[in-house]
Amino acid sequence: MTAPVKVEVVVVGSGASGSLIASRMAQAGKQTLILEAGPERGMRNLVSSQLWARRLKWGGSPVIEDGKQPIGYNFNAGWGVGGSAMHHYGVWPRLHEEDFDMKSRYGKGLDWPIGYDELRPHYDRVQKEVGVSGDAKAEVWRPAGDPYPMKPVPLFEQGRILARGFAALDMQTAPLPLAVTSEAYDGRAPCIWDGWCDAGCPIGALANPLATYLPRAEKAGAVLKANATVTRVLSDRAGKRALGVEYVTRDGTRIEQHADVVVLAAFTVQNPRLLLASGLANSSGRVGQYMMTHPAGLVYGMFDEYTENHMGATGGQLLCQDGYGKNKHSNKTAFGSYQWMIAPAVKPNDLLGFGTTRGDLFGAGLHDFMKQAARGFANMTAAVEDLPVASNRLVLSGKKDEHGVPLAHVTHTADEQTVALWEHALEEGQEVFKAAGAKTTWTGPMAAMHILGGTIMGDDPEQSVVNSYGQTHDIANLFIAGPGLFPSSGGVNPTFTVNALASRSSDYLLGEWGSIV
Amino acid sequence: MTLDRRTFVRDAGLGLLAFNVAGAVLMATPAQARKRRLPFQTLKPEEALTLEALGDVLVPGAKEAGLAHYVDQQLSGPHAESMLMIKYLGVPPPVYPFYAAASGAINRASRSRFEKAFTRLDDDEAVELVQTMSKENPAGWEGPPAPFFYFVLRSDALDVRYGTEKGFAELGIPYMAHIKPPSDW
Repeated sequence: MTAPVKVEVVVVGSGASGSLIASRMAQAGKQTLILEAGPERGMRNLVSSQLWARRLKWGGSPVIEDGKQPIGYNFNAGWGVGGSAMHHYGVWPRLHEEDFDMKSRYGKGLDWPIGYDELRPHYDRVQKEVGVSGDAKAEVWRPAGDPYPMKPVPLFEQGRILARGFAALDMQTAPLPLAVTSEAYDGRAPCIWDGWCDAGCPIGALANPLATYLPRAEKAGAVLKANATVTRVLSDRAGKRALGVEYVTRDGTRIEQHADVVVLAAFTVQNPRLLLASGLANSSGRVGQYMMTHPAGLVYGMFDEYTENHMGATGGQLLCQDGYGKNKHSNKTAFGSYQWMIAPAVKPNDLLGFGTTRGDLFGAGLHDFMKQAARGFANMTAAVEDLPVASNRLVLSGKKDEHGVPLAHVTHTADEQTVALWEHALEEGQEVFKAAGAKTTWTGPMAAMHILGGTIMGDDPEQSVVNSYGQTHDIANLFIAGPGLFPSSGGVNPTFTVNALASRSSDYLLGEWGSIV
Repeated sequence: MTLDRRTFVRDAGLGLLAFNVAGAVLMATPAQARKRRLPFQTLKPEEALTLEALGDVLVPGAKEAGLAHYVDQQLSGPHAESMLMIKYLGVPPPVYPFYAAASGAINRASRSRFEKAFTRLDDDEAVELVQTMSKENPAGWEGPPAPFFYFVLRSDALDVRYGTEKGFAELGIPYMAHIKPPSDW
């Protein structure tokens, strides 16, 4: 065991939230160390291949999954510098006002300890720092906010064809807000719309941490250590003060890294796992509870027209949030919000490739389908709100990893209101495809998209793990960042909100530094 | 034959993978490895033959594309660097036992129904068995759930057959790589 020099801030994880917080800390002059469990990554490692893309997915300690709708950890989590944001699709809508007080408004789910107005300045700041393409006026559902700093993403044939279906049903569409450069931005090249987002974007058009906050953090003096797996949070005997973290290097050396402030930004599963394994910040008993995902509503169709489906971004081309009203669905069991991400670029293979959508086909029939799909396949995805349920939770397994840390065991079964909403979305999606002229339509199974909760924020220390800044109720100098803070999932992709929350946490941490340390 | 690092990097850039042959490293594409009958590093010969035979029923052309050598090579390296689809399907590493068990199960099911190994079935017999596998465990099946294994190997076969520059070209899809894969895959 060795003990290096104490730092002011140690950030565990180099993904979306960790990289932002580290950059803000370093820019404010704080001595900052980022510890990343996975390997080093550079732009040169981002190979354009759906096979090579799998190296960006989780490769650490196994996560045991359970329940009717498992969270799909290995697909959703990242591995290596940049974390999950390295393979995220850059779909960056904002949460809506009603997402923040569902319990008060509808008696369902949980309230956030903040409202949209408190987060709005950070959405605005981050979108300028990172660069988001979109058309704010066309997004008739969008809450108040600054216009996007870049023009909207272009439309290709698949998007035009599906937009026709929405229009026929009197539904609205708008350009999908994407953290992808539609034009040169802050030294980054414009996207060429080749659909390789999932494999990482080596030209820096997509806002992964290698293109955004990590260079800023390192330029300001932050130090990034890869292959450094944190095994526990160090604390005083009373468990009231964090002293730093213990981590293990690739050669097995254990190191105690002391710090004034500890920020856990290791994504939704590893953060509560570390807290539970360390026996810290759980006086509420809520650590690990309310694990959520966004059940994906996958709708497919085949058209006679050439859909040009290889073009665009993996996230899609258009957005529809007409289904955002939480209790306004024709299916009366359904509750919550959903949005359509319309016309994602697709590849032939991989979990989201068109070859996988017809699992019943094999042999010559599959080959014929592949040929047809290459020309006429179209698709869209609903991000469906997942109601927070306390029994959807992470606990420590009796099994341990190679470092002696208990494995995470995560159970997730969607509430019946969530399942009904997902079914409603699939029915609607197929109607859209038919209205657009699809000759056949079909749907995919419920798949987990994103992972949220487990270290939820709240005002009440008996009902939540952290306050609205991600500061644990129990330990003033221990912070959590990432989608694990969400008390409810909303019906939009979480990464923009993750960044906005991290921005807000950073301001608080720097502003209150004297009382925290 | 041994390779120095410079030669290794140059050959990898030409789409070649490193195969371990009698303690030496030989550079070849998986399709070449198959043609040259290079030995497998992890799969047993019967397992490899069964997997490529089944994979070729699922996705014609997968065998020639080197499915068995691809799976074998991915099983033989660190799990974190694996490119197999199974990596994100909830099967804890190591995943070789999964493939081995499934390979045994398909042969047991084949013998149960047709009294011969899967590799010796004629086309109609193989299709009949695979049709069942896609929906439920065939009679005599003992191993991971047959429909799940069907999905996994079908995905692997799609990867080698259509997930490459060559596969894209065959479908008329522009590959448009920012960075080309350093191997066929």
